[in-house]
Amino acid sequence: MSEDTTPIGSIHVSPRAIATIAYHAARQSYGVVGLAPKNFMDGLAQVVVKDPTHGIEITYDGEEVNIDLYIVIEYGTRIKSVATSVANTVRFQVEKALGMPVNEVNVHVQNLRISDID
Amino acid sequence: MESDPKKTLLNTPSRIVHRFPLDGTGLKRLTEAGLAWLRTNQQVVNALNVFPVPDGDTGTNMVLTMQAAIDEISRVKENNAGKMAHAIAHGALMGARGNSGVILSQLWRGFARELDSLELVDGESLVRAFRTARDTAYKGVVRPVEGTILTVAKDIAAAAEEALKVTQDPFEILEFIVPAGELSVQKTPELLPVLKEAGVVDSGGKGLFFIFEGMLRYVQGLSLEVSTVAVPLSAMKLEETMESIEPGQDFEWVIDFRPHTPLQIDTFYSDLEEMGTSIQLGEGEGIYRLHIHVPENKRDLPLHYTFSLGTVTKATFENLIDQMDQSAGKSHNHPVVLTPVKNGEIAVVAVSPGDGIGRVFASLGAAAIVQGGQSMNPSTQELLQAFENLPTDKVIILPNNKNIIPTAEAAAELTAKHLAVIPSKTIPQGLAAMMRLIPDGDFVSVVDEMKSSLDEIQSGEITTATRSVEIDNVEVKEGQIIALHNGKLVYASESIEDACLGLLEKAGTEDYELITLFYGDTINQREANRIADIIRTKYPDQELEIQEGSQPHYHFIISIE
Repeated sequence: MSEDTTPIGSIHVSPRAIATIAYHAARQSYGVVGLAPKNFMDGLAQVVVKDPTHGIEITYDGEEVNIDLYIVIEYGTRIKSVATSVANTVRFQVEKALGMPVNEVNVHVQNLRISDID
Repeated sequence: MESDPKKTLLNTPSRIVHRFPLDGTGLKRLTEAGLAWLRTNQQVVNALNVFPVPDGDTGTNMVLTMQAAIDEISRVKENNAGKMAHAIAHGALMGARGNSGVILSQLWRGFARELDSLELVDGESLVRAFRTARDTAYKGVVRPVEGTILTVAKDIAAAAEEALKVTQDPFEILEFIVPAGELSVQKTPELLPVLKEAGVVDSGGKGLFFIFEGMLRYVQGLSLEVSTVAVPLSAMKLEETMESIEPGQDFEWVIDFRPHTPLQIDTFYSDLEEMGTSIQLGEGEGIYRLHIHVPENKRDLPLHYTFSLGTVTKATFENLIDQMDQSAGKSHNHPVVLTPVKNGEIAVVAVSPGDGIGRVFASLGAAAIVQGGQSMNPSTQELLQAFENLPTDKVIILPNNKNIIPTAEAAAELTAKHLAVIPSKTIPQGLAAMMRLIPDGDFVSVVDEMKSSLDEIQSGEITTATRSVEIDNVEVKEGQIIALHNGKLVYASESIEDACLGLLEKAGTEDYELITLFYGDTINQREANRIADIIRTKYPDQELEIQEGSQPHYHFIISIE
């Protein structure tokens, strides 16, 4: 829960709301062809209920927002460049929407999708 | 495209002067021309960045990606078009930098796959290859964003199919798709609101257009060396022209003028090419700034010429030979002295954007300095080379920039040495960490100690906004001075000194003890001292140090501790 205090009260933003922004930013980022469950249980839950924030983990320690992305990348792209781009895009979009700095964006490449073999 | 292709082709007779078979060698010639023209227009593409911090982004990334492709094929003797395309695609993949670089490499990958091992490219196979290139690029993203390089690739593929109805000649197809690409680039702001807000076209799309236009200019026998468009004044990089002085180009003119009638850029450039080299033209609010190097016998021509076009508002003239002697002497006086590292000691590799800052890191005990920063990210390879030969296996990297941390981490995965990355996002953070270095200490505890120092320092950066934008409730106009506190935009102002004061206030400077100013290469020592005096008056209780940082883009980097 990120917080901000204004003269008329405080603003709370839930991790889920932040995750939704990050999710849309990640899906628009080039080279990212999907988000992935970070473990088996998460994957199982995804089968039961489709969650628009799966593959994204937000941690907030009272001061800083950290984002973990679990993504699938297109086979045949330069993984390092794609991962850097998605981290930058997510950071930019979240910071723009939230108006507060994001401390870390960690990218976990969970899998590659092979559409074409050269 | 809306216009009837037959009509367009009939109305504009082909201007192609070089024709050659599109085999492997032919494809290589075109690709080299595409890169040359993209490089010429690199700053034009860079100036289209949407975020207001001056970084070399898209243009530089695309040039580096294409350069990797050209490096790959420079050794290829293959004359099979398909195999050449595969080599280009492989090089582009390995060198892909940034978002647009990755998309570019995917376009090449699709292009190469369609050609397979085709000996010679004809009109039909070219159009098929464009189509597959487009499809391959689109597959690489869940939700393709229109109004980007993808849209331009799509429109070019569509135009090529239209062209095929009237001609089988690959060169004539090229002649047809370049204007279509230009139109597509112009339309990107209508598809992508963020571009419209910033008042720019898409940078990646523009870069792709320049690659195709370069190929076309090559077969039309036009120059690839001199740009045909004016860049925004704020994006002119005159300092870089000092590196490329040709013999006989002894004098430099920078002339500001306001033309009486709209400037005919094409004839303007061709007239200037008669006079000299290193020609650059900037534009802003009706004023043009011309930069040119001329030889002795044509010394006065640029001034007479611009007078004939309109009102000259300002002209500066410098003797380059004299200037070169001076700058060579200057850097000679203060060499960067690195600290030799003994076997088993901890070595620190610091990334530094300028010589002055490099010298400070060296004086604090850095064993290697890698040039890099906001405008130029070093490659993993450059970082590896910096420490692989040091006589120790304990290495610490200080990236000193948010965007370089991932590169440093990639280096950690590739080396057999014990490598720790201290995630310093700014120069002040890097220096704070450097103060905690104990070369013969225990590696793990020194790393922990250096990491913990990062939060104990406030970092400030003062730079010029390259475009108008509103971020974090701060409204910024192009050309304004902006202040970033710990990487976040906090203040915009008309003057550098006011931006410094605004930053110091936002950072809560009254609670700290020491302010250190590193002045960049945009500022001379006298100006830096003047601003330091203003700050001293405002913060009499804090100690103030001033150092030459000589970093590009940033007028000041400020640490508050």
